[in-house]
Amino acid sequence: MSPGAAALLLAAAGTAALLADRIWTVAALTVMLLGVCLRAPSGRRRVYLFGALSTGLGVLVLSPFLWSSPDGTLLWEGPTIPVLGPLDVTTTELIAAALNALRLTALGLAFAAYALLLDHDRLVAAAGVARRSALAVALATRLVPSLERDAVGLAESVRGRGVRLEGARGYATLLSPLVAGSLERATSLAEAMEARGFGRPGGTRAPRPPWSVRDRLALPLAALLILVAALWL
Amino acid sequence: MALVAVDGLSFSYPSAPPALRDVSLAFEPGEVVALLGPSGSGKTTLLRALAGLVPHFHGGRFAGRVVVAGLDTRRVRPAELAGTVATVFQDPEDQVVMTIVANEVAFGLENLGVAPHEIWPRVERALESVDALHLWGRRTIELSGGELQRVCLASALALEPQLLLLDEPTSQLDPEAAELFLAAVERLGATVVLSEHRVARALELATRVVFVDGGRLLLDASRAEAVEWLSAERPLYTNPSVTAPHVPAGAVIAALRGVSYAYRAAMPVLEGVDLELRRGEIVALEGPNGSGKTTLARIAAGLVEPQAGAVELWGRAGYLSQDPGRYLVKETVLAEVALAVNGDQQRAGSALARVGLGWAATRHPRDLSSGERERLALAAVAVAEPDLLVLDEPTRGLDPERKVALGEWLQEYAAEGRAVLVATHDQHLPAHRRIGLRVETQAPAGARVAV
Repeated sequence: MSPGAAALLLAAAGTAALLADRIWTVAALTVMLLGVCLRAPSGRRRVYLFGALSTGLGVLVLSPFLWSSPDGTLLWEGPTIPVLGPLDVTTTELIAAALNALRLTALGLAFAAYALLLDHDRLVAAAGVARRSALAVALATRLVPSLERDAVGLAESVRGRGVRLEGARGYATLLSPLVAGSLERATSLAEAMEARGFGRPGGTRAPRPPWSVRDRLALPLAALLILVAALWL
Repeated sequence: MALVAVDGLSFSYPSAPPALRDVSLAFEPGEVVALLGPSGSGKTTLLRALAGLVPHFHGGRFAGRVVVAGLDTRRVRPAELAGTVATVFQDPEDQVVMTIVANEVAFGLENLGVAPHEIWPRVERALESVDALHLWGRRTIELSGGELQRVCLASALALEPQLLLLDEPTSQLDPEAAELFLAAVERLGATVVLSEHRVARALELATRVVFVDGGRLLLDASRAEAVEWLSAERPLYTNPSVTAPHVPAGAVIAALRGVSYAYRAAMPVLEGVDLELRRGEIVALEGPNGSGKTTLARIAAGLVEPQAGAVELWGRAGYLSQDPGRYLVKETVLAEVALAVNGDQQRAGSALARVGLGWAATRHPRDLSSGERERLALAAVAVAEPDLLVLDEPTRGLDPERKVALGEWLQEYAAEGRAVLVATHDQHLPAHRRIGLRVETQAPAGARVAV
């Protein structure tokens, strides 16, 4: 399948997860997207899966305390906190938290599948008039593995100096140099792109394979998925 | 008519002393020019000026005139000069735009508006000329530094430029790959300006030599005249070797027994490697790109656990990676070095002075040039005086004079009863023992075995 069609289906799956109201529907979409992500090499998918699953888990854990509903069965009653009010957990809050957590996880997994499995270059090429924006998105997507590699390198260089990084606070000290390094790399990349004629009028595109019937079918399928999710799921 | 005419060029980056001072030059079509000079002498700035990136991309004070193929670089943007001029920058990782190698090489051709049916054949020819056709469908993020450098050259060659600017293009290549790379440059037939710290190789290729120092043009001569001038004025540029004096073997400080490591199953990088390091000695690890030098160095430093075999270390180890950008985590150069000695500024100051960076103590580490960053990284690791100092490509980006200074410094360091292990492509770096790693062709695809 061409990356354009695949991206369309992933976007539709993510949108459907946001629009659907039934928890089992969203769970099924999440599991399906997880299965797609597992096709990526284990070394590369680790950081994406961790990001998607930990974000969902965070919503599941925190959401019942931050949003209160008088409906459902009271499962736990805690103290009253100033500003937040009484802390309690009800079945309604838990179900809503699980739904939102699954939605967020599905969205994260859809992005992970896009980042891990699609040929971004062909997406850029297929973008036509929006090529610059597509290239910006592709470069931003590549930031995740670059940052991961830089973070590992920074931590290793500090350990190589005999300094131990302990706990979240220790690793947090590397955040600022990581961002500074990314900005420096972005500037160098912009310079290299300009030197290679980027932004010059009259550009052409290298020939790419045309869309197959299966690719063309992806368009109505994506639209149908969103419609069904919005109206019936 | 000259292809390049530089007339009275002076340039200063914002809030910085002049990087170029009144430089005048002219390059004829087909000339191969070796651009030599110490680190921070203005070579990169001169290349940027020839590509139009100075003053368009890098703001600053620009005076004089640069004309390339009849185009005044002040009036024409770098993107419009692309195709006439192609540049290969110092760090290959900072110039890769696309995800797949073939698309990366095609990127410039698409920008220039080359007819679509010509793009893939030109990509194929360019990759073939640098012996990188097998990388066609590979992901750029998975390539080694050396492979990436070849892809960057292919991207420049594909444009078939009249002027090719190369800023230390072989810094991450082993000698064999560097030869291949420069042979491809020679075949191009374009005017080439090559900034290179491996002077002997650059001189072999060059028809003309330009030497800059402190932003001033000190020499613009034919190769024969330049060799004579360099021998008299900068002898280390023509004879950079330092031999390590014989030292009696000290006690064993690190022992690796039967060490194996693989990044992917069935693709071992190291298999059954034995290595003993003794106090007082410098050991060089040599071998082609991808032969496992870095992996072995990281294992010896205790940063990576071998998947088989054992590592014993009697003392502390320090590790200097080949990317100096990884040593920029603090706000000042002094604080950066003091990190490894619990903030002891006196020791940090001495370590900085030892690598010639005493003047930069209060500067931000990111304000330093690439050569200065290399030295900062060395000071940041060596300040804690580890018993075993492991260095990965420490001469990358260093000019011949700095390389010799580094060699002498390493000898002093080892002579104080410590051991030094260096993974390097630089055959001029002094060592008491040289250990070769090779890619094992008899083993399963990609397997690497030490000898």
